[in-house]
Amino acid sequence: MEEDEFFGEKTFQHHCSEFIKHSQQIGDGWEWRSSKDCSDGYMCKTHFQIKSGTMVSHPGTYAGVQTCPPVEEVLEVPLDDAEATETAAASEVIKYEYHVLYSSSYQVPVLYFRASFLDGRPLALKDIWEGVHECYQTRLQQGPWDTITQQEHPILGQPFFVLHPCKTNEFMAPVLKNSQKINRNINYITSWLSIVGPVVGLNLPLSYAIATSQDESNAL
Amino acid sequence: GFSTWLTYVRPGAHPLHQLRAAAMGDPGLFKLQFAPFSSALDVGFWHELTQKKLNEYRLDEAPKDIKGYYYNGDSAGLPARLTLEFSAFDMNAPTPAHCCPAVGTLYNTNTLESFKTADKKLLLEQAANEIWESIKSGAALENPVFLNKFLLLTFADLKKYHFYYWFCYPALCLPESIPLIQAPVGLDQRFSSKQIQALERAYDDLCQTEGVTALPYFLIKYDDNMVRVSLLKHYSDFFQGQRIKITVGVYDPCNLAQYPGWPLRNFLVLAAHRWSSSFQSVEVLCFRDRTMQGARDIAHSIIFEVKLPEMAFSPDCPKAVGWEKNQKGGMGPRMVNLSECMDPKRLAESSVDLNLKLMCWRLVPTLDLEKVVSVKCLLLGAGTLGCNVARTLMGWGVRHVTFVDNAKISYSNPVRQPLYEFEDCLGGGKPKALAAADRLQKIFPGVNARGFNMSIPMPGHPVNFSSITLEQARKDVEQLEQLIESHDVIFLLMDTRESRWLPAVIAASKRKLVINAALGFDTFVVMRHGLKKPKQQGAGDLCPSHSVASADLLGSSLFANIPGYKLGCYFCNDVVAPGDSTRDRTLDQQCTVSRPGLAMIAGALAVELMVSVLQHPEGGYAIASSSDDRMNEPPTSLGLVPHQIRGFLSRFDNVLPVSLAFDKCTACSSKVLDQYEREGFNFLAKVFNSSHSFLEDLTGLTLLHQETQAAEVRTKQAFYDKLVGL
Repeated sequence: MEEDEFFGEKTFQHHCSEFIKHSQQIGDGWEWRSSKDCSDGYMCKTHFQIKSGTMVSHPGTYAGVQTCPPVEEVLEVPLDDAEATETAAASEVIKYEYHVLYSSSYQVPVLYFRASFLDGRPLALKDIWEGVHECYQTRLQQGPWDTITQQEHPILGQPFFVLHPCKTNEFMAPVLKNSQKINRNINYITSWLSIVGPVVGLNLPLSYAIATSQDESNAL
Repeated sequence: GFSTWLTYVRPGAHPLHQLRAAAMGDPGLFKLQFAPFSSALDVGFWHELTQKKLNEYRLDEAPKDIKGYYYNGDSAGLPARLTLEFSAFDMNAPTPAHCCPAVGTLYNTNTLESFKTADKKLLLEQAANEIWESIKSGAALENPVFLNKFLLLTFADLKKYHFYYWFCYPALCLPESIPLIQAPVGLDQRFSSKQIQALERAYDDLCQTEGVTALPYFLIKYDDNMVRVSLLKHYSDFFQGQRIKITVGVYDPCNLAQYPGWPLRNFLVLAAHRWSSSFQSVEVLCFRDRTMQGARDIAHSIIFEVKLPEMAFSPDCPKAVGWEKNQKGGMGPRMVNLSECMDPKRLAESSVDLNLKLMCWRLVPTLDLEKVVSVKCLLLGAGTLGCNVARTLMGWGVRHVTFVDNAKISYSNPVRQPLYEFEDCLGGGKPKALAAADRLQKIFPGVNARGFNMSIPMPGHPVNFSSITLEQARKDVEQLEQLIESHDVIFLLMDTRESRWLPAVIAASKRKLVINAALGFDTFVVMRHGLKKPKQQGAGDLCPSHSVASADLLGSSLFANIPGYKLGCYFCNDVVAPGDSTRDRTLDQQCTVSRPGLAMIAGALAVELMVSVLQHPEGGYAIASSSDDRMNEPPTSLGLVPHQIRGFLSRFDNVLPVSLAFDKCTACSSKVLDQYEREGFNFLAKVFNSSHSFLEDLTGLTLLHQETQAAEVRTKQAFYDKLVGL
């Protein structure tokens, strides 16, 4: 990395595109989205998870929240017995969205994330973290996870949880320094996401790191 | 009936357990079913619908074109979804890579009533008819997206952020059942790995030629050595030479081994209409295409063969089904309450909570945030101190704040009192207590703020001019008593000493925590009053015979380990009763003009002192920390719990003195509290109406004065010198 002291927006976009290239190769689902009215964009991924108890056992009771309006009206339609009924419960599916944006004030990438049920109802941070693997639970009480805030997505204008970028340089500096020392090419996005991702349920296949070092050896 | 769909008539050929026995009592009869779509609505869709409704649709109920998409690459276990995102309203928005588009019609109603009464049967019939027309005309062959229509009926209650909705995925029903010739099996059971690879390549090539990343429907030809695919519109060329059977591919969002997904339904109707006169059967490949950890897999696609029913010449639109079941499994609409992510007030609340929780996590597990957030604070005085205390309380997430003040906002106030603006001063000025409560609500709608524009009767300020003034004083006292009773922490933030006396007495009697802040020009005192022991355990007044109290007044142990119930109040250090405003005023109350930063410092410290007290397991009974404890292990996760903080801005220095309750105190001594508790307002009225000598006589201060006047002055001086560490 030439601009090791300075992670500019151009570098960010370049690293994102490299990252996405590999994601496409392995079908990891990352894509670049640009906003309609401004030139900047973000890298995002959506993934789904089924809450424990995958098949419908108690339909309509998820989270104890009223989801059917108090409408007595029931449509009089002929029974459609060509419709399969033993399908997975949509209500137990949780959609996780991860967006990576660039912070020009901190000059680092920023992770925005949220989780919701299929009807759009969001999960509280507490519920998101209940789904995080045990081995990361203690990390939630340490930096940088004590800097999570709720903010509007600068492009979408919708509330997301944000891992505040104020500590990013702090924990990335040793990583970058080390890569310099051993003279190894790294992708900032890959290194950074592999640190912050798992704590919010975002796992990065190892092949990203391998791909980066292979690119390097190909270039040599 | 029309509802019988595929009938399985060849038992034994393939795993029967994959097929659901539907017709009870006839073990030989099986039918294939279709997995319906689950609607998947991104919160962004609801945001965008809200914006459209507010800015564009307004009261327009006309149907709108929208679009969604579905995906065939999910990992196992996920339901087939039709997804609508914020981009659903933009018909030109690109469909996500490897997904198939679905076009739909939005019917957004203005009222819940019209949502309920909308003719769902008619809407479904209309949509079905459009699909049928596209099949008959051949438009669906040219552009198969016509087969995947959907309807969405919505009502957006934007006051509550409740969204009512009902999806419909119209599916045409064939008039007769279709015999299933080959039951569904995994593609790897029918195709060799070479054929599977060839299929992948052929599909990818066709996508590339067409400039797309997914194809909803396609035609297939294969033998042992090759697989070819083509678009529907080329069927006559492509199927030339085929005799009995044709093979088709359907991009299939379903993941289940035994069921095809919904998009096949209308396509089978098209196949029957278009090809049943030429071919006897159709082989269906439900194309499922996922990549996991870099490995692509289409082998879990399913394949089966059905006999095509004769319907080439029927002109009428078949019956249709497709309204989505709700979460209860019934035929009814759904509702989603999105207030927590769309209502700005709820967002403010959750953001404030989150910030506090982060502080809590950082200090886990010792910080008990709930104790702070749930505390009810009474702020007596809504001036410079009151405003700053209120703001700091808000920062701590305190939700219950009540102001008492009798003043109006004047032109000099807004620059020092951060809850007021210039506008508040006009027309004589708004009452401070009410304006302050309103402003808190504006700053943070989640707060429960109230204001009481009332006076606090004071010693030496007679109330007996008339029966009216007396009655008013009685009401004010009663009101104040009720307010103190209904709050947990009482902040004394007035600008006069006298006005602190009555709430100090009432709060001491009711055993409420009192936090007192007072300003001089460049000095301040912030203190917690000693909290008397609970009544049933006897008076907490300083016992004169107690060893600590009388033993070594000048020894260093005097200020060590003093429990909260032995601590003094604001009046304990005084040898004059309040009410005399002409002489002997103490440093911290002689002047209402103070350095502008002082009120912010003192106000902030007052709240932080309260929070530290609340964090101590013994609360107001906590042993007082002194300046000497600064090097010791702090008693709470937040640090020390001092009795007093005295600040000297000229030296930028704070000290933490500790002082004992005084048995002749004009506010918290047992003599005063006993009289108040016995006689109530009658006693208070005597105090208001008399000169300061009444209280001094009662508590014995008069006697003390006479006996030890000179000595007392010296002692007091020494006492202060010690406090400030001179």
